[in-house]
Amino acid sequence: MPEQPDFYTTTGNKSGLWSWIFSTDHKRIGVLYLFSLLVFFSIGAAFGLLMRLELIAPGKTIVEAATYNAFFTLHGVIMIFLFIIPGIPVSLGNFFLPLQIGAGDLAFPRINLLSWWLYMAGGLMALMSLFLGSGPPDTGWTFYAPYSIRTGTNVTMAVSAAFVLGFSSILTGLNFVTTIHRMRAPGMTWFRMPLFVWSLYATAWVQILATPILGITLLLVVTERLFGVGFFDPAKGGDPILYQHLFWIYSHPAVYIMVLPAMGVITEIIPVFSRRTIFGYKAIAFSSMAIASVGYFVWGHHMFTSGMSDTSRAVFSFLTFIVAIPSGVKVFNWVASLYKGSIRVDAPLLFSLSFIFLFSLGGLTGLIMGSLATNVHIHGTHFIVAHFHYVMFGGAGFAFIAGLHYWFPKMTGRMYSERRAKTGWAFLFTGFQLLYFPLFILGWQGMPRRYYDYLPDFHPLNAASTVGSWILAAGLIIIFFNLLRSIRNGGQAGPNPWGGTTLEWRTSSPPPAENFEVAPVVTEGPYAYHHKKDRIL
Amino acid sequence: MNFQSSTQAVDSVFIFIVAISVALLTGIVATMVYFVVRYSRERNPDPENIEGNLLLEIVWVVIPLIIVLAMFFYGWRGFRFMRTAPANALLVKAYASMWRWDFEYDNGRKTDRLIVPSGRPVKLVITSRDVLHSLFIPAFRVKEDAVPGMLTHLWFLPDGTGDYDLFCSEYCGTGHSEMITKVQVMTAEDFRKWRLEAPHEKTGEDVDGVPALLRKKGCLACHSIDGTRKIGPTFKGLFMSRVIVVTGGKEHEVTANEQYLRRSVMEPEADIVKGFPPVMPREKDNLTEEELSSIVGFIKGLRE
Amino acid sequence: MSRGQDTAGSRIGMWLFLFTEILLFGGLFMLYSVFRSKYAVEFHRAAEDLSRTAGTINTLVLLTSSLSMALAVAAIRRGKKNGSLIFQGLTILLGCVFLVIKYMEWSAKIGQGIYPDSPALLGLSHGEILFYGLYFVMTGLHGLHVVIGLWALIFMLASTLRGTISGARFVRLENSGLYWHFVDTVWVYLFPLFYLIT
Ligand code: HEA
Ligand code: HEA
Ligand code: CUA
Ligand SMILES: [Cu+2]
Repeated sequence: MPEQPDFYTTTGNKSGLWSWIFSTDHKRIGVLYLFSLLVFFSIGAAFGLLMRLELIAPGKTIVEAATYNAFFTLHGVIMIFLFIIPGIPVSLGNFFLPLQIGAGDLAFPRINLLSWWLYMAGGLMALMSLFLGSGPPDTGWTFYAPYSIRTGTNVTMAVSAAFVLGFSSILTGLNFVTTIHRMRAPGMTWFRMPLFVWSLYATAWVQILATPILGITLLLVVTERLFGVGFFDPAKGGDPILYQHLFWIYSHPAVYIMVLPAMGVITEIIPVFSRRTIFGYKAIAFSSMAIASVGYFVWGHHMFTSGMSDTSRAVFSFLTFIVAIPSGVKVFNWVASLYKGSIRVDAPLLFSLSFIFLFSLGGLTGLIMGSLATNVHIHGTHFIVAHFHYVMFGGAGFAFIAGLHYWFPKMTGRMYSERRAKTGWAFLFTGFQLLYFPLFILGWQGMPRRYYDYLPDFHPLNAASTVGSWILAAGLIIIFFNLLRSIRNGGQAGPNPWGGTTLEWRTSSPPPAENFEVAPVVTEGPYAYHHKKDRIL
Repeated sequence: MNFQSSTQAVDSVFIFIVAISVALLTGIVATMVYFVVRYSRERNPDPENIEGNLLLEIVWVVIPLIIVLAMFFYGWRGFRFMRTAPANALLVKAYASMWRWDFEYDNGRKTDRLIVPSGRPVKLVITSRDVLHSLFIPAFRVKEDAVPGMLTHLWFLPDGTGDYDLFCSEYCGTGHSEMITKVQVMTAEDFRKWRLEAPHEKTGEDVDGVPALLRKKGCLACHSIDGTRKIGPTFKGLFMSRVIVVTGGKEHEVTANEQYLRRSVMEPEADIVKGFPPVMPREKDNLTEEELSSIVGFIKGLRE
Repeated sequence: MSRGQDTAGSRIGMWLFLFTEILLFGGLFMLYSVFRSKYAVEFHRAAEDLSRTAGTINTLVLLTSSLSMALAVAAIRRGKKNGSLIFQGLTILLGCVFLVIKYMEWSAKIGQGIYPDSPALLGLSHGEILFYGLYFVMTGLHGLHVVIGLWALIFMLASTLRGTISGARFVRLENSGLYWHFVDTVWVYLFPLFYLIT
């Protein structure tokens, strides 16, 4: 391939930091986002570790109750709104969506940059809520009224941060939808798009359709606090359960914002490392859209003991079970895609296989919570905490790490150490089980979540979980150390180290500023590994 | 599907779903691992490009659909059972507030722990005096939120005698994890006696010299009497000590005299002791003059 | 690879954005319908105290401004810069008139002691408290959108003067127009919900 300067050296008329924070190149914004995400993740993770440390024994260990409550609030807000919701779309998505559809950039490069600025503004506001005003917010990431309206802490700031972050998320969503509709390379029909693109497309629609509801809900919390309007205050005729409806109308679909792109990453990796086409392309594409759409109608499953009517509870439970079907379709198709492949378990595939296991485990426990009778017992306990760490961290988080390894050579032109990646995986996977599995048992035994202090019966499992958190942290540090080190020291990767077939592997690593030297023309599907052309169906 | 109690209803649904889930998960993981080993690059250098199979695709939509419908149905039946209290149930009202539970019996008797007879269904009608709370008794697998301005309900069938934990499981502020009490299950005989004795007695007995009033009003969830720091300042040595308070954003020092103590109980938001969160509920409308005097008197007695 | 101006793309982007705006108000309309069905009588009583005259005049003002906005876009399409400028100016003027009337309405209510959490309001029934809560929040949010729309239009006016918006490149003006029509449409729903309940 004739050498063209890569996008790192093409700085335009700006230099240094400026060439990053004012760049409208989707690849630069993607990398910028990636590092911002990691910073916020580290802060959120630090809160997680501190929480586990506090819970290592009953009674006070390191902090006061009020501080613990601020910890899980900030941990939740940072992990959800600053890490896992923007997560894959803004970093890997930003970088690879245009490459995978053979475009030069996103449809609105400047709006893309604006959304990063909004993201940073929201992030700083969230952090400032720690130090400004009357103490860090202590409501949990759900901001349930009327507590969020009464508490004297800095809720207004945290809520406004989430509002700004929502705006950023909407802008990313509409950018992606427009890009996918308008910017595909010649010959790139809808059913020749890589499945990662399909998953981003489904996600973008959820971002557009659900986020505004969160926006208005959070604005209402602010107006309640500042002006006492009374919508959620029974003393003024308002209704606190209405708040929960509004909150979950967004926040349930939001869990699919977290996991759909993750599923997309897994779908990219499996064919490449098993050297064969994906099994059931259309089924996977449609199941993304199905999850995105049915996902709108199940929010009530967070409210089975809220005092909502029994009929609504039954309907929401029913729909919750239905939404599990398309997730199942994906899992089965992934496993089938290994059949008669030629598989090599490199780090990206290793993380992907772990994803399938952890996500299935997390998802299946979702069914236990979706069932009315069992939900009554486990709602509001550590069972829920275990469920969502399995799907969010074991699912979306592992897929993120898988994607980072898979696309690392493309983004940097270098290769990481495979051995270190696998050592990191071993720690991460072991630590993960030890950290979160005990929480299922604790929850079933009745330990409520958001408890600063607990009864002595719950001690041994809590202690085990805390030890797990250290093993897991060691794993993460090895993984990130390996990647960061390899940016400078890794061996040359070449344009296509894995033998991938999607468009991003047809340009140099790292890609030039314009992405492709010659505009690509697409003539076949994305995973065209036809060494043998026996096709069933 | 005949359920006897909420415990049994929840457990049987749980076992049903877990059994299926474990089977599915094992199947998926085993197949996955088998494929990875059997079709490794060494064993199988030439992959085969299978693009899909409509029949399989239908199978793994339809079979899971049947499974989840069964799960839904079973869970819903259990839930219906748990929502319809038998007609002979003992009715108890439960009031949640930051951060204590109050129970009120049909004869007007009030307690801070839930006392019920064994073998008779109990129906709780729940509400909250301030923010959301949730009444959770793990042993009986029941839970329902306490919502201000609204009545919610649950029922369970206590059997055997003994004490069971009762938690608050909806986050309600600094004292959330302290909002714990007990369900005390007595024999029917004991319960009848308990219910008849002093039916209008409001405060229960004093334990270890601490007036039951303090426990009942929930003061002890936040204030210690032995000097340990909890959510609020300790009572020990408080009387006539020098305290730094914040009034309207300004710090100043006051002496914790009788007048200060009274005001701090009735209108706690007026002066906030430095370093503590402004979370104490106003007791102005909840305490009689008599009760206030007795609380203040007790605090005075804890002077060094 | 070069990237030209993709007008259709900009339009899609704008429509998607408007869609999110509709959903933003949608949340409030949902609240409104829940509370109205719960407190039908009180809503009716409260609505009678709003000034229908002011509401009607404002509706007419905004509808006229929508018309002049459409004319401004039509003029620039045909390359008539001055015509477009006049209509843009008229739209901005009418937007300001709307805000002034709204301001007077709000001050009148606040003068009567009716505003969120005011002692006078808390003395009224639950339904009335919520009605006025919704009234202030919804017309307030709408007013905020009018202000944003006005800034966008002032910006467009400047761009037209400078010539960056012209008969050849007018998609930004068109999009601002769309936004303005959206703001009007929201009002067209707010007006009957607050002023015309029977
Ligand atoms: C990435 C995020 C994510 C994802 C993907 C999911 C997926 C699911 N979640 Fe989860 N959930 C959360 C994040 C997520 N959740 C969070 C953050 C909370 C708590 C919020 C809070 O309160 O703070 C929560 C809470 C939560 C509750 C509320 C609990 C409570 O508070 O009482 C419920 C209840 O139904 C639920 C159910 C489900 C279900 C049924 C799925 C399904 O979509 C799962 C589908 C997947 C599978 C089923 C596994 C794979 C499929 C197979 C192996 C095929 C065979 C299976 C069949 C028989 C169908 N979740
Ligand atoms: C994606 C989401 C996500 C992730 C990844 C995590 C990660 C972790 N979480 Fe969780 N958590 C939530 C989302 C998440 N969490 C949410 C939403 C809640 C609910 C909050 C609420 O109730 O309101 C919650 C609640 C929650 C609780 C329950 C609190 C309670 O109810 O009382 C606990 C307790 O154990 C916990 C622990 C942890 C721990 C130990 C980690 C650990 O896995 C973190 C470990 C990570 C590290 C240790 C990072 C080490 C690596 C680095 C530092 C990288 C170095 C970087 C560079 C070199 C660049 N979390
Ligand atoms: Cu009361 Cu938590
Ligand atoms: Cu959900």
